Amino acid sequence: MDGAAVSLETAAAKAARLLETAQLPVIAGLGTDVAGTRAAIRLAEKLRGAYDHLASDVLLRDIDVMRQAGRMVTTANDVRLRADCLLFIGPKLSEAWPDLAERLDLSARPRLAAEKAPRKIFWLGPGRGEAAALGATEIAASPAALPLAVAALRAAVLDRKTRSDGSSAQKLKDLAAALKAAHFGAVVWSAESLDRLTIEMIGGLVFDLNQKTRCSNLPLVSGLNAYGVVQTSGWMTGFPPRTGFGRGYPEHDTWRFDAMRMIEAGEADAALWISSYATEAPKWKRQVPLIALAQPQTRLPYAPQVRIDVGAPGRDHDAIEYSRDIATFTLAKATRASNAPQVAEVVALIDAKLAKGSEAC
Amino acid sequence: MTLVLTLKTAPPQRLDLSPLLPHLLNGKSAKEIAAIDLATTREKASVGDIFKLRAGSPEEIRFEGGSERFDAVGEGLTQGRVAVAGDVGVNAGRKMAGGELAIFGNAGPYAGSAMAGGKLEITGNAGDFLGAPREGEIHGMSGGLLVVRGNAGRRAGDRVRRGTILIEGDAGDWLASRFIAGTLVVLGRVGASPGYLMRRGTLVLAKPPELDSTFVDCGTFASSFPAVFARFLLPESRAAARLFRSHLRRFGGDMAVLGKGEIFVPA
Repeated sequence: MDGAAVSLETAAAKAARLLETAQLPVIAGLGTDVAGTRAAIRLAEKLRGAYDHLASDVLLRDIDVMRQAGRMVTTANDVRLRADCLLFIGPKLSEAWPDLAERLDLSARPRLAAEKAPRKIFWLGPGRGEAAALGATEIAASPAALPLAVAALRAAVLDRKTRSDGSSAQKLKDLAAALKAAHFGAVVWSAESLDRLTIEMIGGLVFDLNQKTRCSNLPLVSGLNAYGVVQTSGWMTGFPPRTGFGRGYPEHDTWRFDAMRMIEAGEADAALWISSYATEAPKWKRQVPLIALAQPQTRLPYAPQVRIDVGAPGRDHDAIEYSRDIATFTLAKATRASNAPQVAEVVALIDAKLAKGSEAC
Repeated sequence: MTLVLTLKTAPPQRLDLSPLLPHLLNGKSAKEIAAIDLATTREKASVGDIFKLRAGSPEEIRFEGGSERFDAVGEGLTQGRVAVAGDVGVNAGRKMAGGELAIFGNAGPYAGSAMAGGKLEITGNAGDFLGAPREGEIHGMSGGLLVVRGNAGRRAGDRVRRGTILIEGDAGDWLASRFIAGTLVVLGRVGASPGYLMRRGTLVLAKPPELDSTFVDCGTFASSFPAVFARFLLPESRAAARLFRSHLRRFGGDMAVLGKGEIFVPA
């Protein structure tokens, strides 16, 4: 507390005072397991504050397309067993999901495919050396040229006239032919390296291909339970993060409840930062009163009023979290169990220390 | 006489001004109006706390002074006139279906979001997503006239399906993204990739960037219709009317989608 060591109880009581005297407190970061997320959203509701996730920018790109344009998706297992033609789009996919090649078993023939021919693998706009590492046919496109390359590919699938020509146009035509000839195509991408409109264009490409054959999206979602936080937020409030309880009921606004914007604009006057998976620190410049629930090695940008070191889910304690391998929730057993406090416990303690008369909903 | 609301001091929190519409204030006394809650946080903020009130017919409501924290000004407007002498925040004129909203200042993002009718005029700049749908909504603007005298941010005219947008200044990247139908005119410079994922509709760009290759050249355009539309635009903007009367070249696209949209540029 203010740099001095105190008991957990005292620290929680101080945190509770700070949060309940603020006009509009915000819970940011939210890098935690399901139990931690539930406790944090409950606290936000009691405080009539707002909450946001540290990876919201990436998460919402994906979600915004899904809720405005719809999407066909499949799981990694389905791709592994059935896909006879794979198209990777965008750079840094192997960074987003390091064990990609093994997970999709790319070198093997698809076990459940009608014709057991070797898979056709393409990569549109890979990072340096990425396509070769996977044995994929590379179709080069810089990140800036990617939206147009995907558009040209979709036009080629529809046999439409465009103004593009030359070798890259021919490569895209060949790729379109391969996708149309496939029995089960899969388009693999990550919202971390694409913008919203390109994701919507890819979704449309998959819809178009499904007129004649099968094809599906395999989005590589962010790890560290980011997607679990979205789902938990969904079942608690009906909305993904960037939701506020200012008026006593949940309101979702991706612009208004961006924690960074709220703090820089002076709207949020106290922040609870939660990051238990990694040593992620807040990025805002304005020094609002800060309570940090972070890993011990985390370097915060300025001195917090209260700092509570917490354990990592799945390492210091057992945790329920979203596993992107199987696209659902799993129990992650502690790999190095310790007594470090859990986010859910600390948040519940802060919750219990709120003044009794405060407006609980 | 006009109902005038004069801002006392900078608002301490974002305000939801959507209750202050002519049809909602009709028949309310000054005291009742002063008690209307505008707060978006747990701290109270009533009309009386924020504004000095000068009673009058609510058929015309005037705000003296504005703020980037004035959200949802004229949201759901159906009749009468609302004018703001100053800036406004997010969602100005959202879902308005009639009447007139005038912003004498800058507007935040999502101005004219999903508006269905009436006229919205912004004398300053507009933020990103002019006329666009909000989270989870399928359609953006579906009718009415939206005029921006200054510049507009990124993705202006996103998912618009009817109505007319006129931007006298510059427009950002991804203009008219996912455009479904309607008309959008830009007199200033335009950022990259206008009309990405555009299905139908008409864009008229006085200073176009290099168009994406999924827009195909259809040659110069000879029709009497632009002159008719020029007459509709003349009361709003002489320069826009002049643009419609000039020789235009037509591009069709976005060929990656339906391909029935068109972008007109000076020939």
